[in-house]
Amino acid sequence: MNANLEPNSILLQAWIPLLEPIGDLGSYWWLLMLPLVLGISIAYRATHDESLDRFWYRVFMFTTKSIIAMGSLAAALYLFVYLVIPMLRVV
Amino acid sequence: MTNHMDQLDEPLHFGRALMSWILPGLGQCMAGHRRRGIFAMIAILGMFFCGLLIGGVDSVDRKEDPLWFYAQAAAGPIAFAADWANSGLLKTGRVGELVESPPSNPRAAPTMVSTFKTVTVANEVGILYCALAGLMNVVVVLDALKRPSALAQGGWKGS
Repeated sequence: MNANLEPNSILLQAWIPLLEPIGDLGSYWWLLMLPLVLGISIAYRATHDESLDRFWYRVFMFTTKSIIAMGSLAAALYLFVYLVIPMLRVV
Repeated sequence: MTNHMDQLDEPLHFGRALMSWILPGLGQCMAGHRRRGIFAMIAILGMFFCGLLIGGVDSVDRKEDPLWFYAQAAAGPIAFAADWANSGLLKTGRVGELVESPPSNPRAAPTMVSTFKTVTVANEVGILYCALAGLMNVVVVLDALKRPSALAQGGWKGS
């Protein structure tokens, strides 16, 4: 890498959209599930409902319920893995 | 019961279903359900594009991830275009560089991989986005196959 590059140009070179994956997501990768659920909700509501009245309200409710369901499942699995399994005795 | 039997008697619109595979939501637009089609189009293409943005075109790989590609291919020709971009541009080294990758088997010859190839979480999320876009497009295609035209449902409603 050219040592004379300005810091901003180095940052711009760090990610080439569509060619490279987005940068390091760290522990926030799960936030990318939110737009995914929104997309699924829009496609599902657009094809499932007889009427498109209050379409965005229904999309919002469907998205919220899906996220709450996934969050609950994740919390249950977390408790199972970190609390229940360590309590099991190994014979 | 009568309504259910009526639904079974409805003709299947294979042309519209094909159009919805080529461009998600186009079959619904052809049937007069323009808003419905546009919503589906925004959702499917948005998810697929977000997948490519998050994971790069390496998210769509017909040869290395064939099972994922079956789901992604349901999103239409855009999946084949992304696979072409991956295999024709990245894997040939026309974009980026090819570097030697250590083989998993010591007796096997080392393989050449693009410097843009990654195995990060972002790549996995990108694969998932594109695959779910394809699977949701299956729903859209099936809807276009069965949905009567807006005129048959009592006139143009713009839905």
